[in-house]
Order: sequence, then C-alpha cells, then structure tokens
Amino acid sequence: MVILGGIVALAVAPVFGNRLFTVLWGVEPLTYLGAVAVIIGLGFVSISYLVMRPANAGAAQGGSVPIDMAQWSRTTLQYFELFHHDLGRPLRRILGKERELRAMLAAGEINQSPAVKDLLDEIERQAPNFRLMMSNIQVLIQLESPESPAELQPVEPAQVVRRIVDRYSAVASEAGKEVTWWAEPAEFGIIYTDSSAIEHVVANLVDNAVRFATTHVEVKLTRNPTHFFIRVWDDGPGLPAQYRPHVFDRGWTPEAARGQEKTSSGLGLFIARTLARRYGGELTVEAVTAPSPDHHTAFLLSLPLGPGANGSSN
Amino acid sequence: MATKQRRNKILIVDDEWQAGIVKAVTRRLEQEGWEAVTINPGPGRRSGDEFESAALFAIEEQRPDGVLLDVRFGEHRDDRFKGLEILQKIVADHPRLPVLMFTQYAQGPERETAVRGTLRWDAQVDFIDKLASPEEVVLRLRRLIGRSPETIAIGDRIVVDTRAQVVYVKKDSGQETVNDIQGMKFEILRELAATWFRSPGELVPFGRLERYSEGEDARASLRVRIREIKDSLGEALGVRFGADDLIINIRGHGYRLVAPRA
Repeated sequence: MVILGGIVALAVAPVFGNRLFTVLWGVEPLTYLGAVAVIIGLGFVSISYLVMRPANAGAAQGGSVPIDMAQWSRTTLQYFELFHHDLGRPLRRILGKERELRAMLAAGEINQSPAVKDLLDEIERQAPNFRLMMSNIQVLIQLESPESPAELQPVEPAQVVRRIVDRYSAVASEAGKEVTWWAEPAEFGIIYTDSSAIEHVVANLVDNAVRFATTHVEVKLTRNPTHFFIRVWDDGPGLPAQYRPHVFDRGWTPEAARGQEKTSSGLGLFIARTLARRYGGELTVEAVTAPSPDHHTAFLLSLPLGPGANGSSN
Repeated sequence: MATKQRRNKILIVDDEWQAGIVKAVTRRLEQEGWEAVTINPGPGRRSGDEFESAALFAIEEQRPDGVLLDVRFGEHRDDRFKGLEILQKIVADHPRLPVLMFTQYAQGPERETAVRGTLRWDAQVDFIDKLASPEEVVLRLRRLIGRSPETIAIGDRIVVDTRAQVVYVKKDSGQETVNDIQGMKFEILRELAATWFRSPGELVPFGRLERYSEGEDARASLRVRIREIKDSLGEALGVRFGADDLIINIRGHGYRLVAPRA
C-alpha cells in the first residue's frame, strides 16, 4: 500500500506539484512530524505482520513449541482432584441430610407422607449417577493422556461384578427392579487385567441397564480359553435398530436423537468402548425391540484373559 | 436363652463422625445388629495425629471385628492421606483385622493399587467410595468380616435360624415357627438365604440346589420344593408369593432370593 501510494504520488507530481508545494508550506511543521510518525508506524505494522505470519503458522503445525501432553494430562488430573473434592463435600452433606431424613421417616419422627419418600428416593438415585459421572470425567482425562494403559494386575472378575451389583441393587429395588448376576463356571478364577478399567465399563453398562429395564437386569460372566465375557442384559423395550450404530458415539443419548432434553452425558458407552478397545477387547450391542415378547437390550464386553491367566475350568 | 452370639463390633475412624453421611452408616450398622463405636479424640481435638492415637488405642482396648477408616482427615494438606498412614500402622499391628477404607473417587483406583502394593497379599483391606449408600457399606463389611450369622433375617418378617434349623415369621401376635420347612426344604432355603446375605444379587446355580433334591428329574423336584417353600411362607404371612417374589427363577440358570417388599 505504501509503495503503491508512492508510485501514484510520483505520477501525479508534475500535474499538482507546484500548487501542492505552495499549499504544503502553509501547513504547521508539527503536522508533518505527526504524518511521518503515522507512516513509519503503519510500515512497521505491515512489516511485522508479513514477517510473523509464517512463523505463527509453523508453531500451529506443531513444530517449534512442543507441548508436553503427559504433563498437561497430569495437571488436568490434579485440577480434577481439587474440583472433585470441592464438589464432593457439599454433595456428601446433602446426601447425609437426605439419609438422616429417611431414618427419621422410618422411625416415625416426621410425617410419613409418600410424597416425601419419593423426593428422598429421587435425591438418592442421583448419587450413583454423580459417582459415575465423576469417574467418567476422570477416565476421559486419562484416555487423552499419551501414557500407556495401567499395568495389568491379578483380578477376580466375579469380585468386580459383585461390587457393582451391590452398588446398584439398592437403587434398582427402590424402582421395583432386580439385578441378578452369576458366573459360569461358578469358580471363575483369576485373570490378568486392569480392574479399574473393567469396573468403569461394567458400571456404565449396569447403570444404563437399570435405567432402561422394565423389571430385570442380568449380568453374566463367562470365559473361553482366550477371552472372558461380561454380558449385561435388561428386559427394557429394546434399543431401536436405527440407534444401534450411534450408541457408542461420544455425547449421543436417545433423548438427543429424539430432540428432547438430555438426561445423561452420553459419555458412558463411548468411554466403555474406548476402554475395552484400549485393553485389546471389544464392546458390542444387540437388541430385540418391543412389541416382540422377547424384547431386551444386551451389551457384550469381551476382553483377553491376559498373560499367565489361570482358572479352575481349564 | 442359648449362648448368644457376640455382636460384631465396628470401629468408625472419621473426623466427620458427626456428619449425616457417617451417622447414617452408624445407624444402619446398628439396625444390622452390629455395635458401632465412633472415635472421638475429645473436644477441640481434630488433627489427624489425634485421631490416629485415639484409633490405635481403641483397637487395643475394644478389640473390634472391623474398622471403617476415612482416608482424608480435615482440610489440612498434611492430613490429606493421613488415613493411609493409620492403615499401615493398623495392618502392621493387627494383620488379620478387616479394614474398610472410605475414599473419594478422585483418590481412587491408582492410589488403591499403590496402597495394596505396600500391604501383604492377604491383608483384609477394601476400599469404598464415601458417597456409597449405607446398604453398600454394610454389604462390604459383611463380606470383609466374612462370618455368617446364626440367624438371617430376610426382610422384616422372615427369619432363618441356621443353628436351630428352623424358619419363623414375625407377626403382630408374635413369632411363629413355619413347621412345613424342614429337612431338604430347609437346606434349600438356608443356601438361598446365606448367598443373599453375603451377596444379594448373586444367583445360586441349579447344581448347588439340586443336591437337596432327589428323583429322576432333580430340577423338576427342586421346582416343586421351591413352590412349597413359597406357599408355606406365604400362608404363614397371609400373602401370596408370585413368580417374581421371594425366590425367583432365572431361566435355565438357577434361583435367587429377593427380600419381600415391606
């Protein structure tokens, strides 16, 4: 722009030269200094813009400033811990009061209105959701980390399933639903895997199943010589065929698909499948929809038994 | 009265012992028939060290059957994992004493793994989220302590006395023995009740129950016996137990007990 202006000025100088010269001498000297400062400033901005642009583009492509992803992930986790503690404290207080109220209700110390019990049940029901939500966020941060998965430890999968059923059976029975589990063979033995990863996956599956079941949820643990399987089945209306390809998408929920308000984050199944694959396994879904009398939804998690697995059956 | 079984005693070590969430657990333990002893180092004493010495002293003094121990003591940075230090001392002195740790999820699995790595492989230590329901805490403690009681109460009104080998129901008029449930039928109910007590959602496979059946078709005779158990209990209580009540059949796999709804 500056150069172009100069050329134009040179071209028109013979035409206006004399008159312009006379007019310019009539202007205050300070204005000249100001104009010079403006031109130098504009030139400086233009030059710095032209020079810096390629450098910025280089940085954006990941060349010149390396970001330590592992460090970033650790810092995020530390922030998460702080945040979790701060959020957990008031939540524990609320739940504590809810349980005190429930005990008072049971002891007949306050008016035993069914509406009050329903409200307390609703508060209680949200607590396991909160636990799952927080652990999902934590796993999500860990999944972003470039560090390799945790070291494999000896795990009793029956024990993992038992813990999750303990956690959900009280919630389910409040809603008139039952969670049943079993292992085949009954003495399932020990396998080498990451117990917290299985716990995350199965907790997400059972949470879902309890939500959609009509009356029953079944969790079945089986194995073959190379893999073990956890099947989580519910007798709900069955996941419609058009939704099955999307059920593992990040953020997808059936409500969102129908354009309604979401009641969950839609992260659970995404995390479950990502974790299953990270450990060399897979997570699949099958369903039969109502009005078929056999309507149900079942998720099947399969994971390798791991090195040196033993078992009473083999 | 026959020799009474000693009540399980649980020591609760938590600086939030006055908070609702801990009080609800205490109350639930008492309903369970357990004795809950809460550590209180005294007025104004709230530091982790004060809880530590009070807890170690109480273990010597009270000889509890299990300890419920918080990981975090107060907001002070030094006391963030004080519970783990206390745990190490308890395990060193009393390696067979079951300890259930109250954690927050964010301190969860990785720290658990780290702690387990420093303990003996057979240490009786387990971890539970502090937001867990009192029922969940009781279930974990039952398994950790690992002792089944002589009498198992199924819901509010059915009691299985495994020592006297009788089943009785509680009514407004008092307690009534269900005479029809004896022998094989008692064994079937005892098997179902014991599994339910330790692990409420767990199925009892046909194989384990068919031991108490005879005849050519063991499964069919098992089915008849279960029907009879449900009818006898239903009659005693004046209700009818349907297919989805009390003892339910999981197609092709086995049976499980479900506590009757109040």
